[in-house]
Amino acid sequence: MEMDLQIEVRRQKDVAVIILKGEVDAYTCARLREAMIEAIEDGGANLVVDMKNVEYIDSSGLGTLVGGLKRVSERQGTIAVVCTNPQIRKVFDITGLVKVFPIYGSEDDAVKALDTQGKTVVS
Amino acid sequence: MARTPRQANLQSEIHNLQLGLKSSITIIEGVMSRKNGQKDADPATAYTADIPEEYVLSEEVRWLRTEDLNLFRYIRDAMNKIQVAFVSTYPPTECGIATFTKDLLMSIAKYTPFSRPIVVAVRGAEEIEPYDRSVKQQIYRNDRQSYLNAADFLNASDVDVVNIQHEYGIYGGEDGEYVLDFVARLKKPVAVTLHTVLMEPSKNQKRIMQELGKLTDVLVVMVRTGRQILLDRYGIDPTKVTVIAHGVPNVHRASASVVKRALAIQDRKVISTFGLINRGKGIEYAIEAMAEVKRKYPNVLYLVLGETHPGVRAYEGESYRNHLLDLVAKLDLTHHVRFNNRFLALNELVRYLCATDVYLTPYLNKDQIVSGTLAYALGCGRAIVSTPYLYAEEVLGDGRGVLVDFRSADAIAKSLIELLDNPQVREKYETAAYRYGRRTAWFNVAVDYLDMYRKAQLRREGRTPTKIVPQAREEVGARE
Repeated sequence: MEMDLQIEVRRQKDVAVIILKGEVDAYTCARLREAMIEAIEDGGANLVVDMKNVEYIDSSGLGTLVGGLKRVSERQGTIAVVCTNPQIRKVFDITGLVKVFPIYGSEDDAVKALDTQGKTVVS
Repeated sequence: MARTPRQANLQSEIHNLQLGLKSSITIIEGVMSRKNGQKDADPATAYTADIPEEYVLSEEVRWLRTEDLNLFRYIRDAMNKIQVAFVSTYPPTECGIATFTKDLLMSIAKYTPFSRPIVVAVRGAEEIEPYDRSVKQQIYRNDRQSYLNAADFLNASDVDVVNIQHEYGIYGGEDGEYVLDFVARLKKPVAVTLHTVLMEPSKNQKRIMQELGKLTDVLVVMVRTGRQILLDRYGIDPTKVTVIAHGVPNVHRASASVVKRALAIQDRKVISTFGLINRGKGIEYAIEAMAEVKRKYPNVLYLVLGETHPGVRAYEGESYRNHLLDLVAKLDLTHHVRFNNRFLALNELVRYLCATDVYLTPYLNKDQIVSGTLAYALGCGRAIVSTPYLYAEEVLGDGRGVLVDFRSADAIAKSLIELLDNPQVREKYETAAYRYGRRTAWFNVAVDYLDMYRKAQLRREGRTPTKIVPQAREEVGARE
């Protein structure tokens, strides 16, 4: 089988950045969920999920992001998404999740926004 | 019945435990495979060819705990809602369009957890169909009044957009013309997915298509060829026609040899064809080709997966299948051709497809504008040999498959042998097919449909989109 999702996690300031490459779907979303839980337990209340190199995302992937948001909300945190792929952006637009996850064009912009705004989504 | 906070919490805990258990199993499997000195996962032992149970968005949203109520409200208010009504045959009715509709409905529902798509099922009066709960209204094929009743039902409902699945044979009247009564009565935005676009329609068939073009907001075809035919031969308004690919299951690629072991056919070269069987499939030519392939590959196995089309069985019984069985016996191929005369569940079907070395559609009708079975084979990343009917000609173009002449056992045999002789060439076709198939996975197609519904709504409101851009299929072409 091919490697369908690569995950790298690093920290920028107080923000955990999860960098994804490949496809986020029913086959791979469990690994993303684990990476998010690990990042949150390591003290990351604010997460950036970098999806610049994500080719496809399905509803499982979106569900995993919502699950992550639930966890960071418990710690007064939030999740920002980095997305430049129009097809991925379309998924967020069509579902309306673009209003739930702030979307940025670069990792630096997303980190900066979270770092300065802190929790921006759910009070 | 409303859940108490305690019940909600309990359910949430159970759910979390289930998820945790799933994750734990995944981790344990990973550890075990690594302990056994395997790479990440040895496909020989780990691969089952099953599509994983999806952990969907709607599930996550619905399972938010009471203490997450703010988040739940926030997400509910933020997410887009759209009530779609599908008008079509629907399972358990056995037909490709019924399956298509259910797949589409489920794919769309996964992205719209706060909406509930419904179905107006089209059926014969004599059929007894235990439909699921999504079916809210029924049209009896030959009962003209039921078309009007269904339109009235939808007009009075909170449905935002109606998606009709169209094939001339589904609806009552001459060439299914009763569907026009229904469309003329509807006051909602309407999109029509066309499963047949005839190159040489009769006068009445042409009239029906042209009326559909006038009375509805969007016509969806699954390949660009279909769009061109609508413009050139029917004079349909080009801004109303969009291309959205046929969806395919989300299957991750696997080596055929791995899956063959699970099916105990590891020593065979496997060729397959699946779908509801009828005389238009041209399977007799494939069987004749097997006689030639067998000479070079005595271990070849041709799987014909699927039962006789119920509509065909009603008027000629199993005479076509019996004819094929006679041919198999005559050509001494009883150990080389296997029929699986029953309905296959999706996972089972996918397993057979993944075990296939070469998938074959020897169909006879040049005008065939869509084939769900060919779409599935692409989604599973198979090397494909096909006759050049319109759909195959387009989706297998650009090196995604091999096209052979109609009604030519020799041409089929030659192509099969070439592919079996050359694993590297086969691999090249598999990769190209898989790439195409990934882009047309149901989860991508559902997004294109949701986008299209929005455009249908805009058009009905008089805010006509300047151009409805052909979507999934066009993007496929554009990216290659």
